[in-house]
Amino acid sequence: MVAIAALLAVTLLGALGTFLVDDRHAAKFATAVSAVPLLGSVLMYYVYLTEYGGVGNALLAPGDIAFRQAVDWIELSGFTLQYSVGLDGVSMPLLTLTAVLTTLALVSSWTPIDERQSQFYGLMLLMEASLIGVFAALDFFLWFVFWEGVLIPMYLLIGVWGGPRRKYAAIKFFVYTNAASLVMFVGFFALVFSLGDSISTLGLPEIAQALRAGGALSPLAGISVDQLKLLAFVAMFFGFAVKVPVFPLHTWLPDAHVEAPTPVSVMLAGVLLKMGTYALLRFNFTMLSDVATGAVLAIMPVAIAAIGVFSVIYGAMLALAQRDLKRIVAYSSISSMGYVILGLVAFTPYGVGGATFQMIAHGLISGLMFMAVGVIYNETHTRMVGDMSGLADRMPWTVGIFVSAAFGYMGLPLMAGFAGELFIFLGSFGATETIGALAPLLTSVAMFGIVIVAGYLLWAMQKTLFGSYELETDYEINGAPFHDVAPLAVLLLLVIVLGVNPDLSFRMIQQAVNPILDVGGGI
Amino acid sequence: MAGAFDFAPAIALLPFVSFLVALFAGQYLPKRGALAGIAATAGSFLLSAWVAITVAGGETYNEALYTFTAGLDAFELHLGLLIDPLTALMLLIVTLISLLVHVFSLGYMNDEGETGLPRYYAGLGLFTASMLAFVYSDNILMAFMFFELVGLCSYLLIGFHFREKAPPSAAKKAFLVTRFGDYFFLIGVVAIFVTFAGATRTPGAFAGEGSFPVLAEHALADGATEGLNTLGFEPDTWFTILGLLVLGGVMGKSAQFPLHTWLPDAMEGPTPVSALIHAATMVAAGVYLVARMYGFYALSPTALAIVALIGGFTALFAATMGVVKQELKQVLAYSTISQYGYMMLALGSGGYIAAVFHLTTHAVFKALLFLGAGSVIIAMHHEENMWEMGGLKDKMPVTYWSFLSGSLALAGIVPFAGFWSKDEVLFEALIHGFGSEGGLGTAFLLAYAMGLLAVFFTGFYTFRMVFLTFHGEPRTETARKPHGVRWNVKGPLAVLGVLAAIVGFINMAPVRQLTGAHIDFLHTWLNGPEEGGWPAELSTGLHHYEEVLHDFGLVSASYPLGGETGTLLVSAALSLGLALAGVLAARSLYAVPEPVEHTDELGSIKTLLMHNYYQDEYQVWLATGVTYPIARAADKFDQGVVDGVVNGISSVSLFTGSRVRRIQTGVVSNYAAFITIALVVLLVVFGVAGGWF
Repeated sequence: MVAIAALLAVTLLGALGTFLVDDRHAAKFATAVSAVPLLGSVLMYYVYLTEYGGVGNALLAPGDIAFRQAVDWIELSGFTLQYSVGLDGVSMPLLTLTAVLTTLALVSSWTPIDERQSQFYGLMLLMEASLIGVFAALDFFLWFVFWEGVLIPMYLLIGVWGGPRRKYAAIKFFVYTNAASLVMFVGFFALVFSLGDSISTLGLPEIAQALRAGGALSPLAGISVDQLKLLAFVAMFFGFAVKVPVFPLHTWLPDAHVEAPTPVSVMLAGVLLKMGTYALLRFNFTMLSDVATGAVLAIMPVAIAAIGVFSVIYGAMLALAQRDLKRIVAYSSISSMGYVILGLVAFTPYGVGGATFQMIAHGLISGLMFMAVGVIYNETHTRMVGDMSGLADRMPWTVGIFVSAAFGYMGLPLMAGFAGELFIFLGSFGATETIGALAPLLTSVAMFGIVIVAGYLLWAMQKTLFGSYELETDYEINGAPFHDVAPLAVLLLLVIVLGVNPDLSFRMIQQAVNPILDVGGGI
Repeated sequence: MAGAFDFAPAIALLPFVSFLVALFAGQYLPKRGALAGIAATAGSFLLSAWVAITVAGGETYNEALYTFTAGLDAFELHLGLLIDPLTALMLLIVTLISLLVHVFSLGYMNDEGETGLPRYYAGLGLFTASMLAFVYSDNILMAFMFFELVGLCSYLLIGFHFREKAPPSAAKKAFLVTRFGDYFFLIGVVAIFVTFAGATRTPGAFAGEGSFPVLAEHALADGATEGLNTLGFEPDTWFTILGLLVLGGVMGKSAQFPLHTWLPDAMEGPTPVSALIHAATMVAAGVYLVARMYGFYALSPTALAIVALIGGFTALFAATMGVVKQELKQVLAYSTISQYGYMMLALGSGGYIAAVFHLTTHAVFKALLFLGAGSVIIAMHHEENMWEMGGLKDKMPVTYWSFLSGSLALAGIVPFAGFWSKDEVLFEALIHGFGSEGGLGTAFLLAYAMGLLAVFFTGFYTFRMVFLTFHGEPRTETARKPHGVRWNVKGPLAVLGVLAAIVGFINMAPVRQLTGAHIDFLHTWLNGPEEGGWPAELSTGLHHYEEVLHDFGLVSASYPLGGETGTLLVSAALSLGLALAGVLAARSLYAVPEPVEHTDELGSIKTLLMHNYYQDEYQVWLATGVTYPIARAADKFDQGVVDGVVNGISSVSLFTGSRVRRIQTGVVSNYAAFITIALVVLLVVFGVAGGWF
């Protein structure tokens, strides 16, 4: 199956082509190019739903994986590096999410991006290609190339097209996440070296199965197997947690979001954060599931759960203190991603499945929120609560979608966010086998996030959207153009569709994550 | 041949369609979506009537219809319908009142030249759809989902006049306060699923085998706790905790102390909305939920006592505040809170029928009173202060007579609807208070005493309102020349006015006791057949609840005052006497040509009442005086400490880098010196360590 190779090739070539196109045509050209991976991934999603009913986990049962392709690439001191790709129920929705958000983000760039357009759109496509690679790659080397490959376009997109403090934000983003990758890399390779001759490639499935089989690891440099696993787990957790981000590794995020132009924020919140949780699921929770469930160090799951829950409340409290709409949404992303951590560490079907579903749901909803804030900014040239009020009077449809999106963020039932959060709570409340006796309490504390999120979003909406119309800046609201509002409507529709029928994604997700959960018991 | 139940989903779907029509096409329709709403709710009403007739024939319905998630290796979550007599009754109430409110809105909104009408009718449609879906939810998760959607609609409609300052703020408050309650509800829902997941595929179901009330009952009765996960608690303790968690949502939506503060503010919404949402239906959702899962609450004496006490206290507490309010809708708002207190009192003290009965009569007469108030507000050019009115009786007779009918019902004067239901509430609390042992009985009696006292206040504030608004001489120019209202206002008022007078006849339990005639139809309706039939299948029959109440809730009745008949008569006489006393007191003070504000004589008590016992103040303080400063502090901490460390690390590396750079001088002799020094140091180290390691 060359479907993934085709997606990658088209997107990469399209990116290169966009760099060469004249600025005036770059936007339309790039959007047209991005329609190919969009349609391709939607088609693949459809094929997956109809033909790959029983596909399991990509790492644990790669035989029947969807769209699989593996070609030997490089021989390297006993290891064969492969071009190896394929999709399971976790990566398929994430890949589709990437394609959907990229196209919509490109359309939403038409209004705000007015300089160096060919470079901007080219970099956006480059980033899309890397993201597709991250979710599809099944070989560590290949995966790592894409993983790092995402950083470069993102760094440039923030650093060149960003706000006043763009250089600070871009460098902070790059150094922070790159340093984290380094730690993760060291942790992972400690495992690889300790596996020794039992693996012949750097294929993630092979490594995962070897690690889970037990007995394949040998002590390395005087460190016992358990300690080695523990250290590797911590190193990888640290590396991925920065991306998510969880407290206290989150401070790059608000800076990056505030400085990044809207479409870049959409990609950052919508997809890039999910790289962290996706990798956590693939590496920490699949390969080292025994460490994750506390078999090596009993305190591990409850500690991770506590970090996740703290992120939920802490992020929400920070959001409550902000006046910049974009900062509010940025901090609330920290809060929402905390739920994902809680769901993962619960290690139950609803917990891990819900966490994965929440990645998709939050990707759509946070993208929607950032876009909505962006549309308001395009019209008013301010994002500050207090600089404007009564916008509902001038841009009713945009405000209508904004309000809907905000309620989606608050977890209104029949919208995707509710399903994600509900599944996580169902999975973690009774997860006493992993999280221990504190599971119900920690889950209940995390749930309080739904009250705080309502507090800050309702407050922000009351101040900016309602009341008598006033605007402190020297701009006139003309009503947003159709191509600014249409992406919002599309995302809102997706959020509702997924909220009404979560099994569109949740079923394949569960098929993919349940093989990880060999611990049994719980819900 | 398809039966009524096959069309039951349409009861909620029709108003949903009218929501879509009004939202997207309302701008182009003649009445901006009103007609679509009227058609939809009328259709729903007819379907509900058909369903009710089918249920009367002894048929019920309890099916999963839509799989939310199949759950794979875990339990599934679904949406489905549960239709039993309780559901059928509530469907009728909601659709009827929604229909009347839609018609009334033609007069209140369209004729008054309001803008944004498609949004208004879309909100009404979505609300009606969500409320109906909530009513016939077959499981607690679906109930929660639509409970929340109802909250959203309330938010949208309270904030309808978004250009003004107060409505958006009131809308925010309503959603936040009820969300705070729903937080506990959600924990309860999740906990119920986790608790019962091991024992059934449908852990959240309300009725039938495998439903959580039934499983919980088995667990307590036979110790059948296999598959139940009570997280280390004793089953009865854990079930009490679950009940109390769900109760959080109930208290939020049904505006029970201390989560009642949003409701008076919600009067910022258009008056028909107040009638539909904040009096007759949405606020009923909380109480209805307790009734829906009554088999679960009846298991726990502690939960019952708490429900009864909250109810009794809220009834009295809100009634006292109603006494001093000056605006028509404010009086009605506090009376709503108070009346829902009665329903909670009934549910807590084992009066399931009484609660459902009061829910029914209250829906009718409170919708009537709000619509009557709406009519007055139209007439008064949107002046709501009763002191600016007076003498409207002769100018608007239809409004007056129907409003009077509603007021007599609210005050509990025989034979109007409220008398029968309120009397039954108090009677149940009284006999169970005397009959139940220990703390439970004391709690019931305490709640009863508060409820009884509130009867006097109810009579007083109701007729203070009637006299100030309609009697005496007009006190302002507007009241002298009120604006006329049309058929679309008078029609719904007339319908409800008649109903408020007669709807109490569906359950004249006292008359039955005295004459032996079987005229307590509601009792028969909710009881079902004695043997077999739907009560055996669903376990939601009255008879079953009474058994559970007796066996597990430890609720039993005794008749302290001369047997059942004697107690009944004394109880009825007490509540009627107090109500009349309240009415007469109001009459002597306010039914005079030039009434003055006698409540001023209350002095500091009045200040306390006008400030609602400072309930709003402390809640606002919790939000802005506690939570917000904590958030600010967290922000400072985040920027200063957490991010400070990050920036610190980067400054340290920059600083070291800038210093280390200085040794890169580019002068060869310096490098030579470094090499020499390093070599010497290495040699010394090797010398001391004794060779190459």
